[in-house]
Amino acid sequence: MTNNLDPRKIAKLLTQSTRQLDAATLSALFNARQNALKRQSVRSPVFALTPTSAHTSARWTDRLVPHSAQPWIAVALLAAILVAGTSFWQHAQEQQISELDVAILTDDLPIEVFVD
Amino acid sequence: MKSFVRVQMQDYVVTVFLLLCLTSVPNSAAAQSWRSLTPTQREALAPMLQQWDTLPEPQRHRLLDTAKHYSQLTPEQKQRYHGRLEKWSKLTPEQREAARKKYRAFNKLPAEKREQVKQMVKEEQARKAQQSASGVSAAPVTNQQ
Repeated sequence: MTNNLDPRKIAKLLTQSTRQLDAATLSALFNARQNALKRQSVRSPVFALTPTSAHTSARWTDRLVPHSAQPWIAVALLAAILVAGTSFWQHAQEQQISELDVAILTDDLPIEVFVD
Repeated sequence: MKSFVRVQMQDYVVTVFLLLCLTSVPNSAAAQSWRSLTPTQREALAPMLQQWDTLPEPQRHRLLDTAKHYSQLTPEQKQRYHGRLEKWSKLTPEQREAARKKYRAFNKLPAEKREQVKQMVKEEQARKAQQSASGVSAAPVTNQQ
């Protein structure tokens, strides 16, 4: 018996043997292959140093927050930033106006100079 | 699938629009009555005691903002502040805004120009004070035969 097996011969043998499998077994193998391919599309890179497993294959954001809620959270964050920015701007405007009013009310010149 | 995606996008757009509308709601505290003012605020706004509760809420809010600076004023500035507060609050919002614009423009003038204007105003004030003191009318005197 020889120990040196040609890879091409092995592939040929495997191809020949699949033709001898029944339809049910072929279908099961096909489904298993499809599922494996689906899992592989979200798997972390092959060259990652951390060991990959079925648990870490999902995106980390999906583990923190359900996928369906993520767009709503993004919208809420955006709106919160807009609201905070607008409030800050309004407050700054109000402060400017009050400083101006105090300046007019305490200036050397009477307010009649500035009022028509 | 496309209609489902469109419906989801519409939901997001409507939500953002409604949340943005909230930012247009005036972010001011409730109108403060004279009784609810602190002693410091009352001291600053003392000339407004009689009409405070009749003032519109935005105007009260603005005056309270100016009162925050009162404690930092010099005695002379405090006197001016009190002396002008009532007249200032009787102006219309448009007049106050116009006065602010004029004040901003005045402060952008070169220092020399500003001093010239101040000098002119002082002279005019002195002249008026002299006239009222001596009881002389402003109208020119005509020769009667």
